[in-house]
Amino acid sequence: MPGYRPEPDRDSRAWWERVARREFAVQECDACGTLRFPPRAFCAACRTEGWRWREVAPEGEVESWIVSRQPFVPGLRDPYLVVMVRLKAVPGGLVYGNWRAERPPEAGERVRGVFTQVDEELIVLDWMPESCIAIRSGENSPAD
Amino acid sequence: MPKRLLEFSDHTAIAGVGYTPFTKDSGVSTLTLACRAVLAALEDAGLAPDDVDGLATHRVGDSAPPTLVGPALGLADLSWHLDQFGGGSVSHAVVGQAALAVAAGLAETVVCYRAINARSEFRMGGTGRGLPASFEVQYQAPYGYVAPAQQFAMYARAHMLRYGTRAEHLGALAVTQRANAAKNPRALMRTPITLDDYLASRWIAEPFRLLDCCLETDGACAVVVTTAERARSLRRPPVLVSAAAWGGGTSHLSCDDPTVTAAAALAPRLYAQAGLGPGDVDVAELYDCFTYSVIVQLEDYGFCPKGEGGPYVASGATALDGALPVNTHGGFLSEGYVHGINHIAEAVSQLRGEAGDRQVPGAEVALSTAQPGYVLPATSALILRRA
Ligand SMILES: [Zn+2]
Repeated sequence: MPGYRPEPDRDSRAWWERVARREFAVQECDACGTLRFPPRAFCAACRTEGWRWREVAPEGEVESWIVSRQPFVPGLRDPYLVVMVRLKAVPGGLVYGNWRAERPPEAGERVRGVFTQVDEELIVLDWMPESCIAIRSGENSPAD
Repeated sequence: MPKRLLEFSDHTAIAGVGYTPFTKDSGVSTLTLACRAVLAALEDAGLAPDDVDGLATHRVGDSAPPTLVGPALGLADLSWHLDQFGGGSVSHAVVGQAALAVAAGLAETVVCYRAINARSEFRMGGTGRGLPASFEVQYQAPYGYVAPAQQFAMYARAHMLRYGTRAEHLGALAVTQRANAAKNPRALMRTPITLDDYLASRWIAEPFRLLDCCLETDGACAVVVTTAERARSLRRPPVLVSAAAWGGGTSHLSCDDPTVTAAAALAPRLYAQAGLGPGDVDVAELYDCFTYSVIVQLEDYGFCPKGEGGPYVASGATALDGALPVNTHGGFLSEGYVHGINHIAEAVSQLRGEAGDRQVPGAEVALSTAQPGYVLPATSALILRRA
């Protein structure tokens, strides 16, 4: 098994279904227009419930990264690089993903999301330099 | 000034501390560890189990709650108890809430404990347990990003990128705390290390090496909280609870600046409650799940300017003979990992003047802190004072 699988909840299930269709969406508040992630019923800015999905470009900037070198997760082959990305669309929003480039990230560099087909059932959002072309999506494949 | 219903500052005290030995395999249940530490703390205070009317702990589904420990020690009718969900960010909240309960008269003698088999049974972010039951884990686990070592390494690199904090700064902290542990008979790791040892230790999650990470420990620690008045009549020199404060924190998924922790907002409330400032603190026992968490707290609790925590440690300021001795017991990095309560107990030892070879001469005021608000958006801290 290739590491852990996401366990969607009632707020996030529809978001994961969109990811499975290679869509990146965030919530837009009906009342005040604030964009938010992760999916939740309430807008933290105006404390109301009404919202709609808003598809946005998966873009952001590199805030930090690690190179994991300890077998924390059964089935994942280390080392692997996890990047923390500040989302362009969502103020204060941070997301994570594996890094899909041959070189390491740089502080503050602009990145874009790339959807990785982990296996037949699971697609996740990873990150790569804005200027690069996707090179491969086989990183973190199951260990033997 | 707001009208206050309750006089709190210095009205309660820690009257006793107790430990089990720290090991890598206790061979017993967390319930057994908890009972041993509770009884040891009562013995230290010169109290009997029947004096206890309150019990409190924190845990993440990995230990014995008051509803087990009470009956196991024959305490049939506790007038106050607390089973706080949470990790290191709430360790000091537990003792703070016990002090509030005592100050309010809901209980007179509360024992706060933490019992943990963090090596032999439930390893944080490691083997022996499933993923934490956290809403946010679904957005991280698929990337192999699950362990505290990974999460704090992520924040540490953000600090390094922003302020130029270096491996040598993190290493200086590990070396300093090990030197303290060498003077602590309770410590699991007492062999001194050098900066070269630190730099040569294996990678865990870059930028963290093995020696950036706390120990995984089996053990328990407890403290007895009672009224200041009662503590004065007991066996040991009382240590007053001058301030207890709570704070927020950052979410994994929403945070404007991951290099500033919730401690920065909590610190002014804490100091104001005690009527003093960072310059008055004689010794600091700061939550050190990883080297970085101490460095960021030195900044956010006001001991050095923002971004200068690394150079501050490298200057020797946090050594036993420095301006601000930090983690005099060796901390989680070298004494053992008992999820915050052992930091409070060490502060008590220092303020009693009973810390032996590692005693900070004349220590009168101690700051002890919980995890500063990463991962679980919460934090807490105490200021303790010699009576
Ligand atoms: Zn809104």
